[in-house]
Amino acid sequence: MTLLQLEDVGVRFGGLQALQGVDLEVKQGEIFGLLGPNGAGKTTLFNVISGLTAPSSGTVRWRGASLDGLSSHRIARLGIARTFQNLRLFSSMSCLENVLVGLHQHASQQPLAALLQTQSFRRRESQLQQQALALLDLFQLEDTAHQDAASLSYGDRRRLEIARALASRPQLLLLDEPAAGMNPSEKDELRELIRRIRDQFKLTVLIIEHHVPLMLGLCDRLAVLNFGQRIALGSPDQVRRDPAVIEAYLGGGA
Amino acid sequence: MDAGLLEQMLLGALLGLSVYLPLRCGQLSLATPGFFAIGGTVAALLSTRVPALAGSGSTYPITSVLLEMALAALLTGVLALGLGRVVLRLRGIYLAIATIALVEILRVVTLNLEFTGGALGIFGIPQPFDSAAGYAAFTLALLALICWLCDRLEKNRPGRAMAAIRDDELAAASQGINTADTKLLAFVLSALVAGITGVVAAHFLNSWNAKLGNFDASITTLAFVVFGGSRTWLGPVFGGLLLTALPELLRPVGDLRLIVFGAVILVGPLFFPKGVITPELFKSFKRRIRGTPTAAAQGVKP
Amino acid sequence: MEGLLQLLFNGLSVGAVYALFALGYTLVFSVLGVINFAHGAIFTMGAYFTYLLIGGAVGANGLLAGLQFPFALPFWLALPLAGIASAAVALVVERIAFRPLRDRGSDPLLALITSLGAGVILVNLIQLLVGAESYSIPVGTLGSLPAALNIAGAKVRTVQVMLLAISGLLLAALSIWINGSRSGKALQAVSEDPITAQLLGINSSRVIQIAFGISGFLAGMAGGLVGLSISIAGPYFGIGYGLKGLGVLVLGGLGSVPGAVLGGLIIGLAEACVPADLSGYKDAVSFGFLFLVLLIRPQGLLGRPQSNKV
Repeated sequence: MTLLQLEDVGVRFGGLQALQGVDLEVKQGEIFGLLGPNGAGKTTLFNVISGLTAPSSGTVRWRGASLDGLSSHRIARLGIARTFQNLRLFSSMSCLENVLVGLHQHASQQPLAALLQTQSFRRRESQLQQQALALLDLFQLEDTAHQDAASLSYGDRRRLEIARALASRPQLLLLDEPAAGMNPSEKDELRELIRRIRDQFKLTVLIIEHHVPLMLGLCDRLAVLNFGQRIALGSPDQVRRDPAVIEAYLGGGA
Repeated sequence: MDAGLLEQMLLGALLGLSVYLPLRCGQLSLATPGFFAIGGTVAALLSTRVPALAGSGSTYPITSVLLEMALAALLTGVLALGLGRVVLRLRGIYLAIATIALVEILRVVTLNLEFTGGALGIFGIPQPFDSAAGYAAFTLALLALICWLCDRLEKNRPGRAMAAIRDDELAAASQGINTADTKLLAFVLSALVAGITGVVAAHFLNSWNAKLGNFDASITTLAFVVFGGSRTWLGPVFGGLLLTALPELLRPVGDLRLIVFGAVILVGPLFFPKGVITPELFKSFKRRIRGTPTAAAQGVKP
Repeated sequence: MEGLLQLLFNGLSVGAVYALFALGYTLVFSVLGVINFAHGAIFTMGAYFTYLLIGGAVGANGLLAGLQFPFALPFWLALPLAGIASAAVALVVERIAFRPLRDRGSDPLLALITSLGAGVILVNLIQLLVGAESYSIPVGTLGSLPAALNIAGAKVRTVQVMLLAISGLLLAALSIWINGSRSGKALQAVSEDPITAQLLGINSSRVIQIAFGISGFLAGMAGGLVGLSISIAGPYFGIGYGLKGLGVLVLGGLGSVPGAVLGGLIIGLAEACVPADLSGYKDAVSFGFLFLVLLIRPQGLLGRPQSNKV
């Protein structure tokens, strides 16, 4: 079943056509990769899906319904979570608090209960704490729960951002270069981790990554963007052999 | 200590909280004196023009003060709701300048309107308390209530959302936080606190005029928060109490006192860029209060 | 026709001073991205310096009661000297209120507070030294110029013509400096992109100092001119200009030099158009403009749009 559908999506920034006529379908449960050289429009595509950038043309559909004009918090509440290429953690907060913000939608919304700290309210809050700790545990960040997010190593910060995104219990997870700055063994672990969370949380994953071997080994399907246009689509094997892809990566681009 | 000075300090702490609320959400709003002025004008007008509020006793009834506070809160709240939607689209220094303009426009209008008493203002505002000590007790209770509300707010969902917006508005929105509504909430709460404080101040000062909500007040109240710290409610309370007292405590140095005050504002941010009350200090403060209940009974926090 | 011309002159001469004032704001904003809240106090200093240099005597209320320089300079000499003295004050403000924050890598918004602290110190220092009374600069210091001129039927005060002429001269000199000199171009580079400018070997600390120096010079001259055309209404009189200057700044566009000039002239003219029976609302004109501009076009008339980075 199709979860996310992009129809003829185009984005124009002044004179720059960042995306042009992009069609994509992401099916429920798959790990879908976006490849392409720098400046190909991958992050712009993420920004369009998550509502940070309005498309100049075309439509994004979520479970068949258009996301046109929805603000990013509304889109997040529909079940689309994301991470950012250059890490956007809440740097004055601890790791635990970062994840708790991710749980925002699931916190109690009754102001009176919060003021009076009713029993049910406190139970709810302690459940949230436990959920947040469990998520940190899954990402091997339990020891740093009370440290400032800004004090973590680069790889740990990347993982914390994924944990925060997962906290909102999304159906679709957008990962923007999650392996950037990681060493080879961390990258291997990350690949296993992404597979594991996909199965455990019944997720669909859309991932941008430059590391081609990682992508070929991880993704069920891939699309390749170049100069804002989709130049290839298919299984890792199909994409690997696609002449347009070889051209983009080895030809004019180099 | 002189109860009159204590009352001024407590009012300072309340105004500090009013500036703090949007700032904790990353919004530098300097609108507090404007809402403070509206609150004071509401109190001054109602208590001098509406005979029904005066009661039969020798002092002005406290219930009437509470009623004024409710009306001031309603008025400032509705106004902040409308203005906030518009001005909170601006960021950083632009928001600061827009709110300065709001305060100045309000001041000029108040100065020129007939019914607000023009440049002279409104005199003879009735007294609900016989002494400054009565005011101080009443204001202390009000401050305690608002601190308690802030404490609850900070520990819960809206407080976390506010802190997230301050750190990174875009990332906050991506976590499903309605950033526009959260900022608006902070702005409205700020206006309510300022409006209510204005009501108390008008009675305490006995007269009210447009000068009380001017640009100087914007910056002084901001200094309370910057000096005290803007991560927890204790920061602005501390800053408000101390910096309001400072010019008075410095009275022995005579004419130099405002210069010393300026020096404190100048040097404070250099040595305490996060304010004197950092979150770490705040946590240890709370632990100490929990540890010794007697200290809690006498301390700032009820 | 004469009435209109009169109005035009009134408006433009006031607007020219606003423009001078706002230029100082804009220069500092363009290199640092913050407002210097001590700017109004520096303007005030300029007015007092001018008063002292033309041989004015200090009143009876300050520590310096009765002080009077043994010389009395003509206004045209006193004014630029007062500008230089104000520039020195601005450099001190930069040194104590701005540079320490930069050295420590603190939040630039803190400069709003520290500069205000510097302003409070300056204003109260003036009060302490020369008292709170108001002073005026006698028109006699202009030499043998007539008090009013007749231009196309409109009676125009000589002072107003001077305001316009001096402001125009300064603005022209400033734009020649910015576009023509090495340091002016360095200033532009730093305001475009401080990091790249640093990489290109531009000493941004030096550029910031230059911006403050010129900003203080212009503010001081503006203070002296207002002192001549109206009066020096006590140590606090710069604060009102400081606030109105914000309106000018925003209307023209934060950080834009031509914007500050255009904004100043527009607000000066708009104030001159306020009818006499509503003159109490004159002070709100600038803020009304400010508010409207922020809502409709936050980048101002000639500014660049705010960047919204993802």
